[in-house]
Amino acid sequence: MKFPAFLGGIRGKLISIFVLIKVVPLILLAWFAWHAASQLGEDVSAKAGGMADAMLTSIKSVGSTVTDDSIRALDLRSREAIESLTTDAAKEIASFLYDRDRDIRLAAGLEPSEVAFRRFLADHTRPLYRHGPWKLAEDGKSWQPVSPHTGEAKVTRPILPDNAKDFHARPPEYFGEIEQRPLFVEMTYIGLDGQEKLKVTSGSLTDKELKNVANPANTFVRAENYFAELKKLKPGDIYVSDVIGAYVPTQAIGPYLPATLEKAGKPFKPESSAYAGTENPVGKRFRGIVRWAMPLTANGQVTGYVTLALDHDHIRQFSDRLMPTEERYTPIADAIKGNYAFIWDHKSRSISHPRDYMIVGYDPQTGRPATPWMDEELYAEWQASGKPSDEFLADIPPFRDQNLKRKPAKELVQAGTVGLDCRYLNFSPQCDGWNAVTEHGGSGSFVIFFSGLWKLTTAAAIPYYTGQYGKSPQGFGFVTIGANVDEFHKAATETAAKINALVAEKDHSFKAQRLELLDDIQHSLASTAIGLWGSTLLMVAVVIGIAIWIANLLTSRITRMIDGIHAFQKGDLKHRLDTGSSDEMGELSRSFNTMADSVEESFRRLEEAREKAEEASRQKSAFLATVSHELRTPLNGILGFAELLKAELIEPDQQEYARIIEQSGEHLLNLVSEILDLAKIESGEMVFNWAAVPLVELLQEGIAPHRAAAEAKNLTLSLEIADDLPATLKTDRTRLLQILNNLLSNAQKFTAQGGITLRAARLADELAISVSDTGPGIPPESQELVFEKFKQLENFLTREHGGTGLGLAVVKQLVENMGGRVSLTSEVGIGSTFTIHLPLSAEHG
Amino acid sequence: MAERDALVVDDHPTNRLLASTLLKKLGWSVQEAETGEAALALAAHQSFRLVLLDISMPGMSGEDTCIALRQVQNDHPITILAYTAHAFPEDRARFLGVGFDDILVKPITRQRLEELIGSL
Repeated sequence: MKFPAFLGGIRGKLISIFVLIKVVPLILLAWFAWHAASQLGEDVSAKAGGMADAMLTSIKSVGSTVTDDSIRALDLRSREAIESLTTDAAKEIASFLYDRDRDIRLAAGLEPSEVAFRRFLADHTRPLYRHGPWKLAEDGKSWQPVSPHTGEAKVTRPILPDNAKDFHARPPEYFGEIEQRPLFVEMTYIGLDGQEKLKVTSGSLTDKELKNVANPANTFVRAENYFAELKKLKPGDIYVSDVIGAYVPTQAIGPYLPATLEKAGKPFKPESSAYAGTENPVGKRFRGIVRWAMPLTANGQVTGYVTLALDHDHIRQFSDRLMPTEERYTPIADAIKGNYAFIWDHKSRSISHPRDYMIVGYDPQTGRPATPWMDEELYAEWQASGKPSDEFLADIPPFRDQNLKRKPAKELVQAGTVGLDCRYLNFSPQCDGWNAVTEHGGSGSFVIFFSGLWKLTTAAAIPYYTGQYGKSPQGFGFVTIGANVDEFHKAATETAAKINALVAEKDHSFKAQRLELLDDIQHSLASTAIGLWGSTLLMVAVVIGIAIWIANLLTSRITRMIDGIHAFQKGDLKHRLDTGSSDEMGELSRSFNTMADSVEESFRRLEEAREKAEEASRQKSAFLATVSHELRTPLNGILGFAELLKAELIEPDQQEYARIIEQSGEHLLNLVSEILDLAKIESGEMVFNWAAVPLVELLQEGIAPHRAAAEAKNLTLSLEIADDLPATLKTDRTRLLQILNNLLSNAQKFTAQGGITLRAARLADELAISVSDTGPGIPPESQELVFEKFKQLENFLTREHGGTGLGLAVVKQLVENMGGRVSLTSEVGIGSTFTIHLPLSAEHG
Repeated sequence: MAERDALVVDDHPTNRLLASTLLKKLGWSVQEAETGEAALALAAHQSFRLVLLDISMPGMSGEDTCIALRQVQNDHPITILAYTAHAFPEDRARFLGVGFDDILVKPITRQRLEELIGSL
C-alpha cells in the first residue's frame, strides 16, 4: 500500500489513524444526530400541521354535521308541519265542498220561489276575513297597513317555576276583520230549455236578469256552459263546475310600486291592476264562482234545475289566510316572501293565489280562457300557430319538458296575462312535481330553487269527488304550500354561521400557532445545527490537535531514540537512551541500553585483545630485533678480524683457515638474516614499502651482483625482457631484489656449466619473472620440498654449495605475501626454471 | 690535526678494537670511548672528523650521543656513522632521522668502511 508523502512517517500514520478512528465517527455521529434532529423537526412540523388541520377539519366537520343535522332535523320537522298543514287544508276544502253538495241537495228539495231562495241564500253565510286598508308608504317603496295590527300574548298570572322552562304564550289568532258573507252569489231555477225561471242574487257579481243559460253568452263572464252538462244529469246527480271568473291582468309582476311601473313605462294605477296581497293591497280582485246544480224532479221526472253559484272568495279563504310560518295565519298574503298557499283545480289550473293575476280566468268579452303564462318556446309556437291560445294549447301535451332552464315569455308579462295553468307553465317544473305527488290522491313535498329562493313546496290532493271531480283521485285539485326553507332552519344556519366564524377564527389562530411552531422548530433546528456542527468542528479540531501532539510526543521519543542509535552507530559507545518512561518505549530504550552495554563491553574486550596482540607483536619484534642485534654483534668481530687475518697472514694454510672462519661467519650471517626474514613474515611483522619501480632498471640491478660470480664459474648470465612489459611495477623494491638475488644465487650455486637466464614476461595481468638454469634439475617428487625450510635435496650438497636451506622458503613466503605465487618446472639433467607471478594491478599496502 | 681524527664509541671491546684497527690501517688517528658520556667528554676537549657510534650502549644511547655531539661540535665538519648491529630497514630510517650521516651495519667489512669514509 502506498501512502502519500505526508503519511509516510509514523507521525503521519498516527495522525491518519487518529483522524480515521476519531474524526470520522465524530462526523458520522454529528451527522446522525443532525439527521435525527432535523427528521424530528420535520416530523413534529408535519404532525403539528396535520394535527391542526385534522382538528380544524373535525371542527368544521362537526360544525357542518351539527348544522346539517340541525337543518335537516328542522327541515324535516317543518316539512312534516307544512305537509300536515297542506293535507289539513285540502281536507277542509273538501269538507267545505261536500257541505256545498249538501246545500245543493237542500236547495233541490225546496219549492222554487223567490222567498224560499232568498231565505236560503240568507241562511247560508260564512265569515270572510279581510285586512284593513293599506296605503303606499311615503317613500313609495312599499305598501303598508293604514293601522297595523299588533297582537301580543297576554299573561296575567305568575308563571309557576315548574312551567317556567320554555314558557311560551301566543295572542289570539288574527285572521283579519270578519265580514259575514253569503256563501253563494246566485241561486237559480232553470227550466229544461235553459231559461232561468227564478234567480236570486246576493251582491252584484252576477246579472239579476233572467237569461237562457243554454247560450253561454248569457252565462257568468260568458264562460259557463253548464246547461249542456245539466241535461246529462239524472235525478239525484250533482253538477259542480270549474272555477269561473274574469281574468284580472296586471301591469307588473311583484310589488306594484311607482318605481316599478315607471321602469316598465306604464302608468301607476294600482286599483286597476290585479290585487296581489302585500304587493298590491289596493288592486282589483279576482271574482269567481263555482256552480253547483241539481235536477228538480216531480214524479221521477226532471222538471228543471236548481243551481247555486258559490262565491269563490270562500274557497280562497282556505289558502289566503294560511301562513306556513310561526305566524300561522295572516290577514294578507305576502307573496314576495315565498310563504304562501295555492289551490289548483283538477286541471292543475291556479284557482287561488296571493297574486290575483295568477289565477286563471276567462276573457269576459269572449268567454274564452285567458291566455296563460307560457315559456318562450311555447309562446313562440303559439304565436306561430295563429290560433286562439285555448285552441292551440288543447293540442299541446301537458307538462311538456318542464325545467328551470326555461324562460318565461316576456311578451305575456308585458301583456299582463300571466295566469298559471300548470299544464303549460313549462318553466316551473314544480307543476309536474305537484302532480306527481297528488295525481293518485296523495300528498307530499320537495325542495326546489325557484325565484332565487330554496323553497319547500308541498302538495295535497283535495279529496272531493263530486261530479266531474270524481274522474281522478286528485279530486277537486290540490293545495300547495310554498315555504322559504331558510326560514325553517334559521337558527341552525345562524349556528352554522357562528361555527363557521369560530372555525375561521380557529383556523387563523391555528395557522398562526403553526407558523409560530414551525418558526420555533426552525430556530431550534438552526441553533441545534450551529451547536452540533460547532461542537463537532471544535472536537474535530481538538482531536486533530491531540493526534498531532500525541504523534509528536511518540515520534519525538522515537526520533530521539533513532538519533541516539545513530550516535551509537557512529562510535559514541557511551551513548545511552533516556529510560525515563515505564511504557514500551522505555522498555525499548532499556533493551537498547542493555545491548549497548554488551556491545561496548565486547568492543572493550576486543580493544584489550588487540592491545595485547599488539603488545605481543611489539615484544616479538623487539625479540627478533634483539636476536638479530645480539647475533650480529659477535659476528662483527669474527668476520672483521677473519678478513684482517686473511689479508695479513702469509702462510697459505693459515690464509685458508682465516678464509674458512670468514666463510663460516658469512654463512652464519646469512642464516641469521634469512631466519629473521622468515620469522618476520610468519609473525606478520614484515613491512612492505610499496612504490612504483622502473622495471627494466630493477631487473638489471638484480642481475648485476651475480655477473662476477658467473664469470668466475664460466657460466653465461643473460637477461631477456619482453617488449610488452609495463614501464613501472608497483612493488617493494628491496624485497623484489632479495627474491631475485635468492633465485639467482640458488641457480648459480647449483649450475656447474651452461648458463642462467633471467626472463620477464607479461602473462595476462601477471608479470612473470623466471630464473632458468642448466643445473641438475629437480625430480618431480621433490619439487614441492624445495620450498620448505632446511629441505635441501640429498644431492644438493649444502656444504658444497654454501646454501642456508632457507632461500627458496623466503622467496615463496615473500612472493605470496606480495600477492603472487611461485612455480617450478624442472627436468633432471636439463635444468630448472623458478618463476614468480606478480599481479600487475594488485593493490597493496 | 682534526682532519684525520676519528672516535670509535662502543661498549663492546672487540668491536671497538676492530673499528680502531681498520681505521688506523686507513690512516686515521683513532681514540676510543666506551660510553656515550665518555665520547662527549672527549669531544668537549677535542674535535673529531669522524665518529663511529654504537647505538645500544649502557647509559646514553647512540642516538642521544649523536644529537649531543652535533651540538658540541657545530663549528667544523663531522661525520657520524652509526656503528651498529641493528640491521632492519626501519632502524636505518630512524638513525638517519636523528642525525647520523650513514649506517655501518655490523658485521662490517673493510670494503664497506672504505666506501663510507673514502671521500673524507
